[in-house]
Amino acid sequence: MNHAIETLDLVKRYGARRALDGLSLAVPRFAVLGLIGPNGAGKTTWMMSVAGFLHLSSGSVNLLGGGPFDPAVHGGRITILPQDSELPLESRPLELLTHYGRLQGLARPEAARSATAMLNEVHLGDRLNAPIRSLSHGMRKRVMIAQCFIGYPEVVLLDEPLSGLDPREVAHMRSFLTRRRGRQTLVISSHNLHDIEVMCDHVAFIEKGRTVRIATLEEVVGKASTLVYQVTAEPADHDALATAVPEAALAFDAAASALLCRYDPALTTPEAINRRLLPALLAQCGVTTVTRGASLETEYLKNL
Amino acid sequence: MNGVRQMWRVACYEWFDALRSRRALVVLLLYMAAAVCNMHWSINLLHKLENELATVLQLPQSEQTGVVSTALWKSKPFQRIMKQMAQNDLVLQDITGKHPVELIYAWFAFFYTPLLVVLVSGNRIAEDLGSGTVRYMIFRISRISWTLGKFLGQTLMIGLALILSGLGAYAVAKYRLSGSGTPDLCVNVLQWSVRAWIFSIPYLGLAMGLSHLTRSASKATVMGIIAITVCFVLSLLLRHFTTETGWRAYLPYLNMLMPEDHKMYLWRNALAPLVTGTAYLLTLGFCYLLTGYAFFRKRDV
Repeated sequence: MNHAIETLDLVKRYGARRALDGLSLAVPRFAVLGLIGPNGAGKTTWMMSVAGFLHLSSGSVNLLGGGPFDPAVHGGRITILPQDSELPLESRPLELLTHYGRLQGLARPEAARSATAMLNEVHLGDRLNAPIRSLSHGMRKRVMIAQCFIGYPEVVLLDEPLSGLDPREVAHMRSFLTRRRGRQTLVISSHNLHDIEVMCDHVAFIEKGRTVRIATLEEVVGKASTLVYQVTAEPADHDALATAVPEAALAFDAAASALLCRYDPALTTPEAINRRLLPALLAQCGVTTVTRGASLETEYLKNL
Repeated sequence: MNGVRQMWRVACYEWFDALRSRRALVVLLLYMAAAVCNMHWSINLLHKLENELATVLQLPQSEQTGVVSTALWKSKPFQRIMKQMAQNDLVLQDITGKHPVELIYAWFAFFYTPLLVVLVSGNRIAEDLGSGTVRYMIFRISRISWTLGKFLGQTLMIGLALILSGLGAYAVAKYRLSGSGTPDLCVNVLQWSVRAWIFSIPYLGLAMGLSHLTRSASKATVMGIIAITVCFVLSLLLRHFTTETGWRAYLPYLNMLMPEDHKMYLWRNALAPLVTGTAYLLTLGFCYLLTGYAFFRKRDV
């Protein structure tokens, strides 16, 4: 079983409108996949369909090789951070997460241990027994994230996990989620492409209820095959640059004021290219930064 | 983990959570206060009637409320008059043997329990659907375990409210009515709490079944109030229009779908009618609840 989630031709209709219009997406096991798309593209609908919240008009879902979501088969193995869903306001984080853990089949001490560890992880160790009603929006969000990881589920679906968190917590959560790579399958929906770039190893572009592209982040941004030179002005003599690195393809992005150099990593190395291209480039303009790979934003906008 | 265990865990948490909910707690305490006040006012009324009776009969007025009433209530001629007045001899035979305090409390509990149910439990499911709280549950357990767990939790909550109201009513009777402080009477009053609790189950099923249909807590409460009113009125109409022949002879069968129709079983002493009534009321409760659940099972959350 290579894929944790396989969805094929999913269609979800709301009257005449199709929120999902034949969306097919396969999420490799232990991947951290970023779902990217504009508002209304179908990211949340896809997640809610996978988690069994929505009844699909047509299409098939296969979760962990066990068919569509069934609590008897998938309970405790798949969790979700749903969007716009409140936690019970009178509950306390520790008792609530322990309760969730017990519903997933954990014994009470194990559930309590897991809940405490997760709440400490999201920096709520000092608010374990405070009513959720008394927590701030960001703190509630952190409880919501913590509940996803109770009992170490195999698949975690996170819908906008970092929205509403303060910068310190965003950085911490990014690091926490990045550490899940290769241990759990995560699907993260976010409009913040920088977050996706940092946390994910796969990305899927979704547009109008369909998958536009799914690939590894490496393939999309070309980290192993692209160098980006941020320049102060457009180089006047392109031929001189092309002569310096004949094995690479050069293109200038005027909007980003950057020179993109694509190469075949089997034939050359970034160091060899830099050695020859940089002097030629510096003769024509200033270079502020050199980075490996294009930005996800650039690639995303190109795919639209 | 099996569904029954999950359901039980949801029920326990629901009960615990409902107790913490300020609204439910306030309604519960108000209900208890109403039972206490009802007993207090009924005893005042009894005292006034006894005094008037003593004045008419030119007897010395009793210092202790209830002495005359109890004697009257237990007298054979009075019971014969009551039996002639009542249509259901069996029920009357059973209730004339009861202490007036029991009957005052039983009347209160049977009459107001449906309202208590709607106010405490009528919106619990709609509330969770509206706020999205249900989404944290149904990827962990099945929808049916969730529904039944919520139902069971609320059943326990109503049970607690009735027990507390019974104890409150007994406490008032103990201090206000002579000869009412016996432990037997306390046990008997609590028995009526249990009977009213059984009577609450179909209403709980009805209110929580309806609660599956909407995401608005206030709408669910209004729907519940309308539903119990319709049930009550419909039951009266069906009884009124029943005849022995023609199509109207079938109306009692329709009336069997109304909880009111089975209330009389709970007024009886014998075990057989009590068991029959309990079976009918439990079945009705689950039927109402599962009808609402059938809609929820197919809906998006």
